[in-house]
Amino acid sequence: MPLKARLFQREVLPFLASFALLALLALALDGLLHLFDLLWVGRWLGIPGTLLIIGSTAYSLRKRKLIRSGHPAKLLRWHELLAWLGSLLVLVHAGVHFNAILGWLAVWAMLINVGSGLTGKFLLDRSRRRMEEARQRMRARGLPEAELEDQLYWDSLTFDAVKQWRVVHFPITLAFAVLAMAHIVAIFLFWGWQ
Amino acid sequence: MKQRPPILWIVVALNLLVLVALAFAYPHLMISPGPLVRGHEELATDCFACHAAWRGASTQRCTECHAVADVGLKTTKGVPIPTRAVKVSFHQELIERDCIACHSDHQGPKLTRRSRKPFSHALLKVTVKEQCSTCHAAPKDTLHRNLTAQCSQCHGDKAWKPATFDHDKYFVLDRDHQAPCDTCHRNNDYGRYTCYGCHEHSEAKVRAEHLEEGIRDFQDCVECHRDPRAEPEKGRGQDRGGRERD
Repeated sequence: MPLKARLFQREVLPFLASFALLALLALALDGLLHLFDLLWVGRWLGIPGTLLIIGSTAYSLRKRKLIRSGHPAKLLRWHELLAWLGSLLVLVHAGVHFNAILGWLAVWAMLINVGSGLTGKFLLDRSRRRMEEARQRMRARGLPEAELEDQLYWDSLTFDAVKQWRVVHFPITLAFAVLAMAHIVAIFLFWGWQ
Repeated sequence: MKQRPPILWIVVALNLLVLVALAFAYPHLMISPGPLVRGHEELATDCFACHAAWRGASTQRCTECHAVADVGLKTTKGVPIPTRAVKVSFHQELIERDCIACHSDHQGPKLTRRSRKPFSHALLKVTVKEQCSTCHAAPKDTLHRNLTAQCSQCHGDKAWKPATFDHDKYFVLDRDHQAPCDTCHRNNDYGRYTCYGCHEHSEAKVRAEHLEEGIRDFQDCVECHRDPRAEPEKGRGQDRGGRERD
């Protein structure tokens, strides 16, 4: 298989598939709710969706040492899974059922955040794979220490891409959090819960 | 040296502040789930005119302007409302006062409209529910003008049309019997019928044919001839009460 095709299959395709699956599943679930006249279910899915997304932030807190327990690598897997599932529920909750600009902005911010998260996952996986490949190559060649350091330095630059991505991911998350919070406060303020 | 916040952060924070400020300045665009109904348009930017903070819109808020005794009779400014075909004043006769159960003053997107609860006759007090004429004027067409039967014999309480009356239960209207109602039910009296309204069934001819078979009681035709395509059941036609005929 040519290199470009292999790269596309191994790195780009899972990224696109994850995003496409999110959109397709959200549309399918929303369609089902409409078909069976269960729109009220969608109205409440915002709550579990939000809770899942809040749960997913355990990784972010751990990484910034705001919490001390939990294995970062495992928490990262949970972060990816819970954020993806929570976004799915919020997307079904949002459907196309609202007029308010604030709600739309919150959903768009969430989608950009998911896209950003998947990009980060893609960059991190790629960096990890390349580092591993480089180490094995170097070991096989029996490179002297100085040269090995040199190689690792260049490889670490791919991790810099992850660092740079994080600079973007956090403000996007902040935008989403503020917009979602404004939407939630508005709902609590005006909705008749009784 | 203290690290300065990156420009990206400042831009994002400023944008978010502007958006939150816009939610306060233009709540009808930023927060409202849809434009308000025509009568409430002037309240579009005053959410708390109807919504109590953290508790939502309440019946108590509605009735501060819309006195229950005046609903359908007078506007909130005391101007009398002309009577309509269906009296809106049924609001005084509801078993429960829960305005929000039926009225959502925000006109949501098309897809959510069907989730609104429509009016249900089950919400009316029994005494009013059983007397259709307290709200509905009787139709003045020839079909209904002199009718004395209960509306519920032919109409359900979900919709006027289609009528639920099943003529086939009484007599099957096959292709030879697609006649105007008045052919059989003279003078719009649906409590009676006659089969002598058409040339096929002249009284003299029917009498002669039945007497020839030894049937003397042939006044209530549909007791035996419920389905014009089927033969009358043997042994019937004797000893009946049945309906009156013209």
